[in-house]
Amino acid sequence: MEDYLEKVPGFVERIKAIQEVILTNIVLIGQIPAPTYKERKRAEFFLDRLSEFQVDECSSDEYHNPIGIIRGTDNDTPPIFVVAHLDTFFKEDIAYHYTLKKNYLSGPGLLDNSVGVGVLVSLPEIFRALDLRFKSDIVLAGVVQSIGRGNLRGMRSLLKTWPGPIRGGVCIEGFELGRLNYFSDGMIRCEIDCVVGLYDDTKEKRRANAILILNEVINQTLQLSLPQRPRTKIVIGKISGGFNHGKIAPRAKLGFEVRSDSDDMLKSVFGEIKDIVDGIDHEHDVSLKLKTVSNLRATRLQFNHPLVKSAAGVIKNLGIKPVGQPTESELSIFLSHGIPAVTLGVSRGKYMLMENATMEIEPMFKGIAQIIGVIMAIDSGVCDG
Amino acid sequence: MDNTWLTTNTFHHSDFRDLDHLVKIKRRRNISISLCFPTLNEEKTIAKEIIIMKSELMTRYPLLDEIVVIDSGSVDRTVEIARNYGADVYLAADILPRLEPFKGKGENLWKALYITKGDIIVYLDADIKNIHHRFAYGLIGPLLIHDHIKYSKAFYERPIAGGERKFRPSGGGRVTELVVRPLFSLFFPDLTQIIQPISGEYAGYREIFEKISFPIGYGIETSMIFDIYEKWGLNTIAQVDLDRRVHRNQSTKALGRMAFVILKTFCSRMESCGIIDMHNPTFKEMIQYNILSNVYQPHITQIDGHERPPMIEIPEYRNKLKKRWLANN
Repeated sequence: MEDYLEKVPGFVERIKAIQEVILTNIVLIGQIPAPTYKERKRAEFFLDRLSEFQVDECSSDEYHNPIGIIRGTDNDTPPIFVVAHLDTFFKEDIAYHYTLKKNYLSGPGLLDNSVGVGVLVSLPEIFRALDLRFKSDIVLAGVVQSIGRGNLRGMRSLLKTWPGPIRGGVCIEGFELGRLNYFSDGMIRCEIDCVVGLYDDTKEKRRANAILILNEVINQTLQLSLPQRPRTKIVIGKISGGFNHGKIAPRAKLGFEVRSDSDDMLKSVFGEIKDIVDGIDHEHDVSLKLKTVSNLRATRLQFNHPLVKSAAGVIKNLGIKPVGQPTESELSIFLSHGIPAVTLGVSRGKYMLMENATMEIEPMFKGIAQIIGVIMAIDSGVCDG
Repeated sequence: MDNTWLTTNTFHHSDFRDLDHLVKIKRRRNISISLCFPTLNEEKTIAKEIIIMKSELMTRYPLLDEIVVIDSGSVDRTVEIARNYGADVYLAADILPRLEPFKGKGENLWKALYITKGDIIVYLDADIKNIHHRFAYGLIGPLLIHDHIKYSKAFYERPIAGGERKFRPSGGGRVTELVVRPLFSLFFPDLTQIIQPISGEYAGYREIFEKISFPIGYGIETSMIFDIYEKWGLNTIAQVDLDRRVHRNQSTKALGRMAFVILKTFCSRMESCGIIDMHNPTFKEMIQYNILSNVYQPHITQIDGHERPPMIEIPEYRNKLKKRWLANN
């Protein structure tokens, strides 16, 4: 059995012994609002924290991603990247106060992704507690502008501007322990904005209803035939519009994603949706605009890639069943650069995208142990083939 | 009024953020420091306060020697949670059982003097939602660095967590502005330089705390300032800007009861130092009114205004000090 596989189960209790440091980092980071494009304060705190933990080099790259580098023992070995996205879905004006109880922690943005960031920033202290040194430099990067319209810009910039080769990558997400993502579907994320003209009471009865127009777009989109192979789907994720119950809606917006493991199929389905939008726009007296806000190419490691096999082994050795599923995240940027990488989840929880997102504390220690195990696996050479 | 104190004795928490430096001074001066949380049903916030203080000021920087929770008899899981995260938890009623027990924050703070071992004691309320270790090191800093300072008190920007969970502009400090500051202005203008005299966070040397009496309820903050000012002078007091503190809002009626206790405490202090002569004792009932079915009905709260004597006068405490002294020498 590989050395790291044997060691990982023994890490769990040793990590738990410094739980107050880890939980403190999660709470202090999580209580700093960080909606996409407004991550500056969280990024500053991230850097301050790494600096306090005596990380060898702490700085921001040109895209304001905060980065800490723990120097390895071998100057000639490329670095291992460990990343977590800093931004959350929540706006600044809600109360970012976390509640810690005996067995769980809760608060807005906790699972996506304050836990991931808190664990990332705790790694220097965890390495110290476990008395671990690595051959590779370990690059700890909090990436900005990941979710939604952010379109993973921070992550794209980080890898685009990194001057040398990268040995492998680990992406940390708060939720859910057991996930082992090693492939990423292609994705086009779009918004359709429907405007039916300036508000004018006298014409209201004759005017089209923006919500009904979007409803027509949805109906026609759902009639599209999607193949089972290549695996393809359309997710209608977000809709908003109108003023109040009794007024015809002058404006409405629809957000959706097309996902497929084939980039060609993705383009084809997107083209069909564009035709639907153009047709409805043409036939009604409205302004209907389709805009792409984000996109990713389909990328993957094979299940028999040594990194995937090693990561699965680490997770199983901790008594957890690894679950493979596609992800649209930082992972896809690693893979599209030809860098072997996986995404791992830290703990279990519920209400992921709600203000009272809640994490179970006890499973977190295994979640952290698996991250350490996978870093050790990469450092032992599983990505070097 | 001489307002030089405001500039010489007012600090910002960032003045003390070099925690290594504070730890070095603490070691050099051979000083121990205790942190005390008085609690009553604080299960939502107590764990967060404990782990942040433990992580930052015990594990990472050994500034604190102990974290103690003195509980007034919580009916929620405060005690269990506090123990789970490693605080030393005591029920106020179990401490000095020979004495008749009272219920109140002042009672817990007073009994903490008996339980804790530190030369410096930091008192923090347990309902701070945006807790950060600056709340402790900001108060400890002036005590370690400036020899003449024996007591430090917090002030802040005070947003309140409102019902709709949005921040409202500063609305705290109503009792301060409507009761305490007018009283200070009338009788002790020097004390008006203390920006938030009834803030719930302060730290000081045991040698100070053990020599003053403690009202068991809301009057503790006012009496503490008044007594320290009277016995040791304003220059022994510092105030520290801790930036923002988010706490629960209180109803006007609750603030009314707080104001009643503060006024009662103030009157007794004024009388004891001969500034006023109360020919008749004050009453012990705060009378407020509710409308029930269009009828005004009095709501009476009995507030006895008990005070604990200086802890140094308690034989059990003196024995404990003696034993500790013998063990150390």
